[in-house]
Amino acid sequence: MSDTMNIDDYLAQGGILSSPSNVSPRYRGELLRLMATFVDSELAGSAGFADTINDAPGIKQRIAAARITLEKTDHAERVLNVMGTFGVDKARYAVHHPWAARVARDADLGTSRQATDMRLSVFYYPLQGWVDAVVMNVLMGRAVGIQLTEFSKVSYAPLAEVFREIAPREARHAELGVEGLQTIAQTEDGRAMAKVSIAFWKPRVAASFGQSESKRFETLKKFGLRHRTNEALLADWTKDIDALLASLHLN
Amino acid sequence: MSRFHPLEVTDIRRETRDAVVVTLKPVNGDASAFDFTQGQYLTFRRDFDGVELRRSYSICAGKDEGILKVGIKRVDGGAFSTWANEHLSKGEIIEAMPPMGNFFTAIEPEIAKNYIGFAGGSGITPVLSIIKTVLAREPKSRFTLVYANRQVSTIMFREELEDLKNIYLGRFSVLHVLESEAQEIDLFTGRIDAEKCAALFSTWIDLKAVDTAFICGPEPMMLAIAAALRDHGLNDSQIKFELFASGQGGRAKAKAVSVNAADQGAHCDATVTLDGATRSFKMPKQGESLLDAALANHMDAPYACKAGVCSTCRAKVLEGEVEMVTNHALEDYEVKQGYVLTCQCYPLTDKVVVSFDQ
Repeated sequence: MSDTMNIDDYLAQGGILSSPSNVSPRYRGELLRLMATFVDSELAGSAGFADTINDAPGIKQRIAAARITLEKTDHAERVLNVMGTFGVDKARYAVHHPWAARVARDADLGTSRQATDMRLSVFYYPLQGWVDAVVMNVLMGRAVGIQLTEFSKVSYAPLAEVFREIAPREARHAELGVEGLQTIAQTEDGRAMAKVSIAFWKPRVAASFGQSESKRFETLKKFGLRHRTNEALLADWTKDIDALLASLHLN
Repeated sequence: MSRFHPLEVTDIRRETRDAVVVTLKPVNGDASAFDFTQGQYLTFRRDFDGVELRRSYSICAGKDEGILKVGIKRVDGGAFSTWANEHLSKGEIIEAMPPMGNFFTAIEPEIAKNYIGFAGGSGITPVLSIIKTVLAREPKSRFTLVYANRQVSTIMFREELEDLKNIYLGRFSVLHVLESEAQEIDLFTGRIDAEKCAALFSTWIDLKAVDTAFICGPEPMMLAIAAALRDHGLNDSQIKFELFASGQGGRAKAKAVSVNAADQGAHCDATVTLDGATRSFKMPKQGESLLDAALANHMDAPYACKAGVCSTCRAKVLEGEVEMVTNHALEDYEVKQGYVLTCQCYPLTDKVVVSFDQ
């Protein structure tokens, strides 16, 4: 064992980096891309959810929607702060894209990115009313839970720590969604509306896990920025969501 | 963006043959900007023959010492550390950014916590800051330090650690592991590897009682200790890392001189390297950014905002010249070294050579 080692070998063996001065140029690029995807998705998700506050059927639901809107913006800021340590202009970044912008509901985006922001394509579709927003929040919330378990292991310690702090709050957002969906599923009309939304959102949330056989995955894995494949994460989510929807008689 | 502030060297003390401890005082009333948290580091900058170098060094002072001190160990061939060890003197002004880093846990005076720290060589600097701070501010907490060095003469802060043992009797202990000097107990001789960790955890250290572990040192040591801690039941959130990467050493090369600066046509021959693979293609000088041209040529180049804000698409121009339309992310010294935001770059010369790998 020598005193030092190549940083790529160190990462391949599970090494952890702790400051911007540790990272190699390619690692830096992939790390910033990963962070930008998260920040843009949270900002776009929060912007889309803001309107849901006014669709809420009661005070508790208004509070839940407002809390989700607030905390997702806060989570974006925490990751943006890590980006800031790499020289990113945080103030400009936060306003460089219209986060509330959406495409038509029937547009087919697949997994491809749109225009110039890095949000997951699922955040480009508009929400249509309370039931639709609750369904989207449950499906995406459970996906975020699985993705955050993965991201909490990234090899860049300051980011892994932020993800570990965020994870329980994001899990609470999904729980609030499930509570809302339970109420909706109590009536036949509610179940019918929810099923229409589930049919719309399920394939789109599934697509947010990314393409199978992604070439970038190998690069990210080598850097310790990913560990499990997109397929494995998607399989976990599908199993989880199918069980949840079955328990609510929504499958 | 972080700004550099001037600091005056108020004291410089030789700690070992290869390391100095530098005491610093912010000038121009910038003191509040340097109110650090234990375990953080300062990033310094200095011009070496027209090339700006930046180096990070950890603060070794505790929160209650009321001063700012960093430890700088000389690295072979390291321009900055050699200069600090051989030429830096009292009264000089050097520039640093405010303290940064997350190598700490929150101080909770009411709670009795058990910490363990692993330091290799000059990796002791941030750990010493943490030790002094938690022992002073968490009166019920204990700290065990495992400190790896080559030999007795290279141990930094040896006396200070002995003093701390006496001040905080029963709450602070140090296990010195020396690579090339035999000690009474075999366990304390050699390198800290998986086997040694296992032996330490079965006899000297009760990991079940440990709340947080701090590790700071070179790569192989970090890997071995982190793996051993996980194997013995600690989870990721209990392990705090500060890597003293060997990659910090050396001297940055100046920007390559443009070989063919004459503007001859509307097209440019671009050569782009990404992940060790190099691709050459023709691109227009106007209308298409370097990033877009690379993407159009099936290179999976990193990018995010495409607005010159996030710096994800940063690359280095090795040959030729480009015009960078917007730059909200790179600092002057990076631009001087040839770094560009490829999403904002258009070729000026008939040939450009760019690398995302440097």
